[in-house]
Amino acid sequence: MTVTVKRPLVAVVDDDESVRESLPDLLRELGYSARAFSSAEEFLASDCIGETRCLILDIAMPGMTGPDLQQELTVRGQEIPIIFITAQADETVHLRSLEQGTVACLLKPFSDTALFEALNTAFRVS
Amino acid sequence: MWVGLGIAEIGRTVGGLIRQGRPLPVVLSALCQLFDATAKGFSSSVLLLDRTGARVRSAAGSSLPASYIKQLEGRRVSWSETPSGATINAKKPVIVLDPVSVPLRKDQEAAPATAPGLRLHEASPIVSLTGEPLGIFAVYRRESNPDVIHCPSALIPKFTQVAGAAIERMRSDEALERSAALLERTQQLSSTCCFSWHVETDEISWSKELCRLFELDPSDVPVTLELIGARIHSEDLASFREMIERARSGVSDFEFEHRLRLPDNSVKYLRIVAHGTRNQEGQLEYIGAVQDVTHRRHTEEALARLRAELAQAARVTSLGVLTAAIAHEVSQPLAGIVTNASTCRRMLAIDPPDVEGARETTRRTIRDAERASEVIKRLRALFCKKGATSESLDLNEVTREVVALSVSELERNKVIVRTELAGELPPVQGDRVQLQQVILNLFLNASDAMSGVDDRPRQLLIRTERDEEDRVRLSVRDTGVGFEPQGVDRLFDAFYTTKSSGMGIGLSVSRSIIESHKGRLWATPNEGPGATFSFSIPCRPQDAMAGATGARSLGAIRMSAVTNAEERHGRSL
Repeated sequence: MTVTVKRPLVAVVDDDESVRESLPDLLRELGYSARAFSSAEEFLASDCIGETRCLILDIAMPGMTGPDLQQELTVRGQEIPIIFITAQADETVHLRSLEQGTVACLLKPFSDTALFEALNTAFRVS
Repeated sequence: MWVGLGIAEIGRTVGGLIRQGRPLPVVLSALCQLFDATAKGFSSSVLLLDRTGARVRSAAGSSLPASYIKQLEGRRVSWSETPSGATINAKKPVIVLDPVSVPLRKDQEAAPATAPGLRLHEASPIVSLTGEPLGIFAVYRRESNPDVIHCPSALIPKFTQVAGAAIERMRSDEALERSAALLERTQQLSSTCCFSWHVETDEISWSKELCRLFELDPSDVPVTLELIGARIHSEDLASFREMIERARSGVSDFEFEHRLRLPDNSVKYLRIVAHGTRNQEGQLEYIGAVQDVTHRRHTEEALARLRAELAQAARVTSLGVLTAAIAHEVSQPLAGIVTNASTCRRMLAIDPPDVEGARETTRRTIRDAERASEVIKRLRALFCKKGATSESLDLNEVTREVVALSVSELERNKVIVRTELAGELPPVQGDRVQLQQVILNLFLNASDAMSGVDDRPRQLLIRTERDEEDRVRLSVRDTGVGFEPQGVDRLFDAFYTTKSSGMGIGLSVSRSIIESHKGRLWATPNEGPGATFSFSIPCRPQDAMAGATGARSLGAIRMSAVTNAEERHGRSL
């Protein structure tokens, strides 16, 4: 499959390797271009922040957490729609929903339909 | 006629009665009878003094009125006064035997004994070989027979001497009986019995109490090894025989624990401690004590059960704490599975299907499913309720598994986990689940101690290393609130807790687990903030075997004493 430049870039930031492996493939199947990062710091250091149309972000990560990254991006003036993903149900309540560009919070494991809907919302917002 | 009566003759008569086992009053009465028959016109009596020598215990006499004898009993004897008419030296007794010849003093407590028609002729003290007052030999003249006034005085010392020997003999017999009775009673009270075993002849002498313990008839004499063997629990019989063989080979001491199976099928637990000595001919004899430890055993077993239940309660408590972490651990691979399967379906749905891509996502699906089931397996092992087992373990591996299970929970609490595991650790012997329970508990405690810390990094350093004396050590160092030095003793108390949630049984259970692995668990405050909890357990299997299984093995010879003895004798096993 060839990735065209027209495909919008979705970045995945998760410390879990199986998510980093599987999610980009699904995103490509859904028609997006995808890149995966193992930490918030790695994403911030990358050259694709400006290009990223949507961020799929794990909440609990060692070092900088998902919400930490969200705050950092706001400070930098980067308004990227964010889909939070988490393996912990109680963490979703800590998020101030839809603030600072949060479009959805998906509880792992989530279905491809739920992801597709969240992405649609994200792109409508942007 | 009486002059010829010698001490040997009197001794023979009296001695015969003693040998027949006749009671002392009978013997003394016979002695008096012999005197009275020899010295016509005179009557004699023997007054026995009590142990203090101050009072008359009882009196014996053959031809004195019973009423007079009765009056003398319990009377006080004065040893210091020398009243008139008595031929008594400083250590000789004075007793008011006769109201006529011995006047009453003012301080005398009771009226003198009276015997109509009798006058005291002589009172001779009976003294033991060591000079102790034993009694008085008193001779009276019958007034009804005024013609005979010459007492056969030469006889009195002889009779006194024989009376003394008889009393002493009886007293030592009594003392022997008393100490035997005391020993038996002591054995009953302490549930301890004693025995001796002459190895060469296999002669065994047993206390009555030991017969009772083995439920053998005391008349089943002689007690033989076969008779004993018949009572030994079948599972302990082999080690019992082994112990006997070792003992025969001439170790100096041995210690043995085994069970008895009694005729009613009940089981007793016994502990034997024996000491071997050689007699002058060089023959080996063991003298030992047997203690019934059934009650103690049952208590220990109840305690072990209680401890296991407490450990289970502690596990369930940590299960609650870990619920979120467990959900996280399982959800991660599940997310991978769902995502991969979704991708796979889409890859197969397009035309032409992306078979290569589908194959790859299927491989990942399977891998993630296996990862999820690993988590479940670890959890099941950690929280299952089963008895302790003992196996050879790599402490690093045991630690890594707990880190894997708890790292997400720790990270959720913003704890930075660092591990420094020693390159090569010798294996330890123990129970995997129990040790993991302890490690997990230390992690969770450390995490709790740091939950309120915001002015410094919440760091958790997990380190394994070789410790001295063939031990391995695991330490968990945190940067939490630490503890007050005066609180260190209470840290390990059951139900002591500094947390609002939690039962406070974690550390107490952890310590008992580590102690059952022959190790120790302790806490030290850090130089900087926080505390370090460490445990150290032996890595040599033979040292850790006994306690780790919880229920100790039975029928096992405690070799320590035997080994020591053999070392002393310079023999090899």
